[in-house]
This record gives sequence, structure tokens and C-alpha cells, in this order.
Amino acid sequence: MRSKTKNKDRTLIPRVKMPELAPEIRVKHQDREVNMGLAPEQAQTEATRCMDCANPTCIEGCPVSINIPKFIKYIEKGEVLNAAATLKETNALPAVCGRVCPQEKQCEARCFYVDKLGKDAVAIGHLERFAADFERNSGVANIPETAKPNGIKVATVGSGPSSLSFAGDMVKYGYDVTVFEALHEIGGVLKYGIPEFRLPNSVVDFELENLRKMGVKFQTNFIVGRTASFDDLKEEGYKGFFIGSGAGLPRFMEIPGENYNGILSSNEYLTRVNLMGASTSNTDTPVLKGKNVAVIGGGNTAMDSVRTALRLGAERAIIIYRRSEAEMPARIEEVKHAKEEGVEFMTLCNPLEYFADEKGRVNRMRLNRMGLGEPDASGRRRPMPIEGSEFELDVNLVVVAVGVSPNPLVPSCLPDLKVTKWGTIVVDEDKMQSSMPDMFAGGDIVRGGATVILAMGDGRKAAENMHQFLQNKSNI
Amino acid sequence: MTNLNVKYLGLDLKNPIIAGSSGLTNSIENLKAIEAAGAGAVVLKSIFEEEIYLEFAHEFSKLGPMDNNLEFLDYYDYQIKKDNLKRYLTLIKEAKKELSIPVIASINCVSSQEWGFFAKKVEDAGADAIELNMFILPSNLSQTSQDNERMYFDIVSRIASKVNIPLSLKISSYFSSLGSIIRDLSFSEVKGLVLFNKYYSPDVDIEHQKIISSDVLSHDSDYKLSLRWIGMMANRVNSDLSASTGVHDWQTVVKMLLVGATTVQVVSALYRDGFPVITDMIQNLERWMDSNNYTSIADFRGKLSLDNSTNLAEFERVQFMRNFGEYK
Amino acid sequence: MNKIIAKEYFSDKVVKLVVENPLIAKSRKPGNFVMLRIGEEGERFPLTIAGADPVQGTITLVVQIMGVSSSKLVALEVGESITDLVGPLGKPTHIVKIGTVLACGGGVGVAPLLPIVEAFKKAGNRVLTVIAARNKDLIILEDEIRKWSDEVIVMTDDGSYGRQGLITAGMEEIIQREKVDECIVIGPAVMMKFASILTKKYNIPTQASLNSIMVDGTGMCGACRVTVDGKTRFTCVDGPEFDAHLVDFDEMLMRLGGYTQEEKKATEIYSQKL
Repeated sequence: MRSKTKNKDRTLIPRVKMPELAPEIRVKHQDREVNMGLAPEQAQTEATRCMDCANPTCIEGCPVSINIPKFIKYIEKGEVLNAAATLKETNALPAVCGRVCPQEKQCEARCFYVDKLGKDAVAIGHLERFAADFERNSGVANIPETAKPNGIKVATVGSGPSSLSFAGDMVKYGYDVTVFEALHEIGGVLKYGIPEFRLPNSVVDFELENLRKMGVKFQTNFIVGRTASFDDLKEEGYKGFFIGSGAGLPRFMEIPGENYNGILSSNEYLTRVNLMGASTSNTDTPVLKGKNVAVIGGGNTAMDSVRTALRLGAERAIIIYRRSEAEMPARIEEVKHAKEEGVEFMTLCNPLEYFADEKGRVNRMRLNRMGLGEPDASGRRRPMPIEGSEFELDVNLVVVAVGVSPNPLVPSCLPDLKVTKWGTIVVDEDKMQSSMPDMFAGGDIVRGGATVILAMGDGRKAAENMHQFLQNKSNI
Repeated sequence: MTNLNVKYLGLDLKNPIIAGSSGLTNSIENLKAIEAAGAGAVVLKSIFEEEIYLEFAHEFSKLGPMDNNLEFLDYYDYQIKKDNLKRYLTLIKEAKKELSIPVIASINCVSSQEWGFFAKKVEDAGADAIELNMFILPSNLSQTSQDNERMYFDIVSRIASKVNIPLSLKISSYFSSLGSIIRDLSFSEVKGLVLFNKYYSPDVDIEHQKIISSDVLSHDSDYKLSLRWIGMMANRVNSDLSASTGVHDWQTVVKMLLVGATTVQVVSALYRDGFPVITDMIQNLERWMDSNNYTSIADFRGKLSLDNSTNLAEFERVQFMRNFGEYK
Repeated sequence: MNKIIAKEYFSDKVVKLVVENPLIAKSRKPGNFVMLRIGEEGERFPLTIAGADPVQGTITLVVQIMGVSSSKLVALEVGESITDLVGPLGKPTHIVKIGTVLACGGGVGVAPLLPIVEAFKKAGNRVLTVIAARNKDLIILEDEIRKWSDEVIVMTDDGSYGRQGLITAGMEEIIQREKVDECIVIGPAVMMKFASILTKKYNIPTQASLNSIMVDGTGMCGACRVTVDGKTRFTCVDGPEFDAHLVDFDEMLMRLGGYTQEEKKATEIYSQKL
């Protein structure tokens, strides 16, 4: 492959631009993806840019260590299904990662182009998505090889990205894996948290079907620790548990008026729309709509919430963030898309209090402006309220997206499980093993609230180490 | 029978000696010991706006290798604040259950925004009063003296509008027009002024050539600034005056009462010599009152305060000339 | 799984369903609830478990027809299945031997009260129960309640059965003549509010089982938040029972009305479809 095109020529190709659905159209549809995907010619051209470095630094930036040059070269050769198979070697959910990973901070940040040439990275994320979508649309799903079944039963608590990634690897090692999920749908945050216009549930379902085909078992409406206890499951023969129950506990600011109707956590808002389909008229779950919607926060969840509000018909959809735009945790691409769609950004503002009408529905909020003071321990300048700068805003729907905390259900069932004071499970960082040897954990329940791909990395690490642990146990 | 009763911020105290806000007034065991030693009231350890941010910063560093965790941590100080406030409110509730002397909460803030509604929670938890400790430093180069002064009034106003319990205000002496500020503040919504705060005092370690902190506890002579201003302002104010900083012995207690203080607050002496200091002060105060045939505090409080009609500035100038002119 | 094994109409508005679910039947305790969903378009909604038979592997639910979801549930026939059923959720009732317990159930709240009454009686307490409803038709499970109570007072608003009056009248009569050590109230929010005001007057520790709006029921969304003792609590994981004297009932009542418009519209559309 390398000889086919000279490296010098490769570097002359500009980075591909992902086709995007026009903002005027996409704000009317909750379920139309914004990024439309690369066309095959575009993908091939972009793949040509990759120089198949002898020492690929991009792989080091990937939390699940995808063999990036390998899959990209398959695309260049036109063997896209092989590219998809390569992805599946290490990544159980390539179509998901291709869409939601912050590649700009991970693989693409380590690309030779960025590191040494000061140019735009190879669009690794877009290519990953292209390969995964191609495979899905081709109807030919490659099922990765699994080892001979060893009869050992393991379970996951939760069906989000960390559990799915763990399950995918364990089933390849030959284990009998059951994924237990408290909700009625599999996928965790992939289904309830990330909107259709960023990650369609149908894409997630396809990846789940692949896991089923590999032999992973799924059990919904099952709360491990309540529906049956861990001891009950151990009696049924489960030898190891992976706790991937996530950070699904909403956080509020606890300011006056926050319990008025029309003020929701981002979890509630997104769950109603993404999981329960509340935006469509033929489902029973309602969602409150607002003419003037304020979303408090500056992360990806805040972006998802405010853009959903627009699609549900808000006349004004406003982000209220206490620091400046440059300091927002959200992906730059999400902020850009939000702006194109007409989201207003009120940065350096912070809510103080909410007011409501006589029925208890929020109708106004008071905010004040913030200035940036000295840097705090995160290195970012500390937001300080500016005395006397208070002002009011008419709002009839507020979504509080200031972060989430670890779900307390599992730790409350396992008194011997060591947790930090905020409820995250303490694990050996190399093994993802908790203070109870047969309990491993990963994802947001350990990290507090991070990304899908880091959760998946944890799942893989836990699988590798639980495999070791169980093998050693049976050898004794 | 000597009666040491006083009314401070509208509350009935059995004597004018208050255990001031410090690290000692932070646990229910200490509070009970302070009451047992005979204190007339206690001011709880301050809750600091800064403290919350510092804890946030500290916890941030403890959390470990968390790439891409910014979204989780971005507003985490709200969580820490919630936990800190919960602890504080629990302390207030416990204190009110266990103690029969007034319990005064203390808030140390740089802005009014957050504290208005918290003050309401402090009230709901049962605190008898709130002492506001306004940490508006003169080292803030971006604010003029008028800006600074206006902040005091704004904050007091804002908090007073949220609660019904009495407020007192602890201030420093860093005002260019200290006399008028004391007077004007006494006419605001506060029921008491605490003179004065004790601020961070830097010193220099010449051996290691670095700045160190010093004087965490007050010296014996530190009481003189409060003494002077209470004496001058007692007949000109519309609120109670509480003497703070440098009250180490019963004699200073008497001095403060003579110049017009309603109560005194003791901190450093408790660190140095323990809670029995309070008992000692009360007994000696009674003894002194007996030997002077005073049966109540009202009999002698303010006896030496400067008269309302005295021109303060002129009085001070004359004293200055006399003292330093005559000193050979 | 989740098949309806038996169905009984207490009145044309109140229905008892026995549902097959061995896991929940085994692990459930009095005070727990489940989340249900009827049909793929259905919303998730909570119901307190009124009883369970671990041997048969069934749980009992009692439903009052109020809106779309309850109507859909009641429309299921024996042999049909509930689409999604998950539990047991919530903290179970704290059952202790304390002396005399006053148990108060309003309307369909008597159903979840029954297992609690039974548990308190079995723990060795003297149990005095007041059950109330608007009229005779809405009084349910009287015989079962009598089986586990030392005394039962029945109140109806219109006097069509038992005594005429609100539940608080029956409660006060008992409180006046006996020393009550603990009270538990389950019923419409406004009933629990006034029952709580009554017991506060007499300093009787009281637990109320709140019926907040829920979406997931597992502590994930905060829709069910209530203010208890000035702090925010989630009904689905911290409750559903709370110290009634510390619950901000006015705020809870306001929050219960948060979706009234949407609920009204949905009910209209649903009844048109039928």
C-alpha cells in the first residue's frame, strides 16, 4: 500500500469535511443525524492521507487500542468489511465510537499530521464511522470469533458502554455472559442519554444484535441487588461480576425555586425524549415543552439538552454557563453545531433563583454575571460573581445539566465494597478489580462521569483481568 | 446578689462573655464544655465561602487520572458546598438541642449572592442570630473605598431581607472614615457590631528569606484598638457593640464594659488557657462588681464612654498633643 | 413472565391484579413498589405492591383507573402480559415492635397498607386501622384489613358506608382514647398532608408513603424529588416512605400537578380511540 502513493502526495490532500445536514432542516427533527457520514469516495481519499506510520502514535491515543492504520488501509484498498472486522477486534461498538468519541483529544491528537506537520489530523473518527455504517448497511455482519465455551458464568450490572465492552471481550474468551439491566432497554447512556441526532438508537441496536449473535445474553427489568441479590446470583453459579451501573444520579444546584414544575434534570429530560420517545406524538410519555428554555451547564449533556429543546419547538434555547465559552467541557463540534442551529450562549452567567406562576410552573429566573478571577486547582480561572449585576430572564422550561453522580444502588447492596465519599467504586487502576475480589468495575461508577470510550476501555481491562483471575482460581 | 444579665442582639444572655467564632466552636463536645464553663453565648465556627472552593480544589487533585472528566467536575463545588452546609446545619441543630445558651451562627463571605438563602436555612435550623464576617479586604486594588463600603450595606440588606433572626456584623478597622462607617452601619439592619476582626499578619523569615504567617493568636495589647473605638462610639451608635480581639483576662472584660461594650468575645485566651478562662472571668467580674457595689452590668456599663456631645476628632487631637507633647 | 394470573374488580374503578413474577415475589418486602409499562409506546409508572405469594411466584397490584396508563393496565385480560415490570424498588417499611400503631389508608392506598398492617401485627404490635374513601364503592380490602387489625374504623365522605367524615375524624377519635406510638398514612397526597398535621399536633411519629411522579424509578432522573426536612430527597430511592412531619406536602402537591395538562389531553385522545 505504501508504495502506491508517495507520502509527499498523501500529505497534499486536505482533510475531508464531514457533510452536515443544514441547520434549518435539522432543528425540526429530533431523529435526523447532523453528521451525515462520508461517501465511499470521500472515505477512500481520506484513508489515503494516512501514512501507515512505522510507529503509529495514534494507537496510543485510543483507550481501546484499535489498530488504526490497519483499518484505514483496508478502507483505502476498498476492503471496507475487513476494515470493520479490524475495528471489531478491539471495539465492540465501532459505530458508536465513530460518532461520539472526542477523537480530537485522543487518537487524532496524536496523529503524525498534528504532531509533526502541524496540519489537520487524519479523520480517524469519520473513517471509523464509515466502516461500521458500511457493514451495517451491507447486511453482512462480521461476527468476531469466540473461543470454545468454558461454562463459567459471569454477569454485568448495567448495559452501558463499559458493560457491553466487557461482555464483548468475555464472550470472546469463552465465558457465559449475562448483561443485567434495570431499565427496559439495553444500552444505558447510549440509549437514554445521547440524542437520536447524534447517535440513533437503531445504530446501537445493531451493535447489540452483534453481541447477541456472539452469545451475550441480555436480561432487562432486572436490578441486581434488588430483583435478586448478589448472593442469589452466586448461588446460580455466577463467578464474577462487572459493575457498570454508571453515574445516573442527577445533581441539582439546590438554589431557591429549583423544585418548581418545569425545572428538570438533564437525565429526566433526555430520558423522556431519547428513551421514552416523548418527542413523538404516539408514545405515552409526555415531555414538558417550553417557549423559552434555559439549560444550565457547559458539557456535552448541556449541548444535547439545549439542542433537543430547539427540536421540540423552543423559540429561544439558551445555554447558561458560569465560565467562558473557551472553558466549556463540551466538544467543540457540538458547540459549533449548537450555534448553527440557533442556540444562544449566555456565558459568564449563573442562576440564583427561580420563580413560578400560581400553578407552580417556572416562569422567570434570576441570574448574575460572573467575572473570572484567579485560577483554581483545575488551572482554570475561578468564576466570581459580580456584585450588583443581577438580572432576570423569562423562561418556562429549565434543564439542569451540571453533572451527575454515581448511582448508589449497587454500593448500598454491598456493604463490603469500598467506595469513595462520593459513591464511586474504588478499584485497582490496572486491574479494575474492587475491594471484593470477584467484583470488577468500570465506567462512570468508577470515574464519576467521563466518556463512552473510557468506559469501554475500562470494560476491556476488567475483562482481561477477570479472565486472569478466574483462570488462576480454577487452576488452584 | 450580682446580676450579670445583658441583652445582646435582643437575646437574653446570663453574662456578657461570649466564646467567639474559632476552630474551638466547631464540635458539640466543645460547645457543651463552653456552656459548662459559664459562657453567656457562643458563636459557631465560621462557614467560609473560600473553604468550599479550597476543598473543591483539594478533592480535584485527589481524584486521580481522570481524562475527560471535566464535565463531571465542572460544578462539583456545588456538591461540596451542599455537604459542608449540611454539616453546618446539623451542628446548629445539635447545638440548639444540647445547649440552653444562645447559639450564634457565623458566615464568612465575599459576596452576598450565595449567602442570602443559606442564611434562611441557618435560621430554619434554629440559630438564634447570625454574625456576618465580611471578608472584604482593602488589598483588593480594583475597588474604591466607596465600592467597598457600599458592599457592606448591600450584603447586610440582602441577608436581612431573607431572615427574621437578628444579624451582627464583624468588621475590621480598615476604613478611612471608621467613625462614620461604624455609626452608619449601626443604623442599618444589623443589631450589633463586633469590633474588630483579626486579620492575617504576615512576617518575614530572614533566615529562609520567605514570607511566613505570624500572630495567629492575639497579643495582650491587641485589645486597645477595640477599646478606643468602642469608647468613642458607644454613645453614637444605634446597635450593640461587641468587643473582640485581645480580650484575655477579666480586667480587659471590665475595661470593655466600662467604655460601653455590650458583650466581649473571647478566642485566643481559650486556645492558650482553655475553657476555664471563662469561669475565671465571670468570677472575677462578679468580685469586682461587688467590691464597687454594682449589682448589675447596667450600673457601670459605658461609664467611661465619650459623651455624645464631645467632638471626637478634637478630643483625639488634644489627647495626642498632650501625650506626645509632654513625653520627654 | 409478567402474565396476569387473576383479575378482580373491587368496583368499576378499582381493580386487583395478580401477576406472575417469581423473582419479585421472592425478594419484595412491605413498602416496596414496582415500575410497569404497558405496550411499547407505554410510559413507565409506579405501583406499590399490595401483596405477594413467594410460593406461587406472584405479586398483587391494586389499580385505580385515573388516566391512560392505569386504563391500559386494567384493559389487560387474564393470560395477557405486562410489557415491562421491574422491582422491588424503594426502601421497605421499617417494621418494629413499638406498641400501638395507627394505620391509615385512603382510597386505593389501603392496598399497599395491607401488607404493612400485617407486618406490624405479626411483629407484636396493637394495630388500629382507619380506612376511608369517598363512597362505599371505593372502600376496598376491608375484610383483609380486619384480619390483621385489633380495631377498624371505616369512614366515607358521603356516609354511604361506615361513618361519615374524613379519615382525620376517625384518626382523632382513636388518638383521643389511646396512646398511639406510631402512625403510618398511605393515600392521596392531600389526605396525607392533613393526617400529618393532625398527628403532629399530638406528637405521634408518622410515616407517609409518597406517590410522586416517576419516570425511571431507580434514582436516575429526579422527577420524584420531594423536600424533606429542607433537603431534596428522591421518592424512588430514599422513600417512598418519609417522616411525614418533615415532608413539604405543599411543594409535593404542586409537583404532582406538573403534567396535568398533558395528562388531560392524553386521556381525551385515549378515550376517543376506544
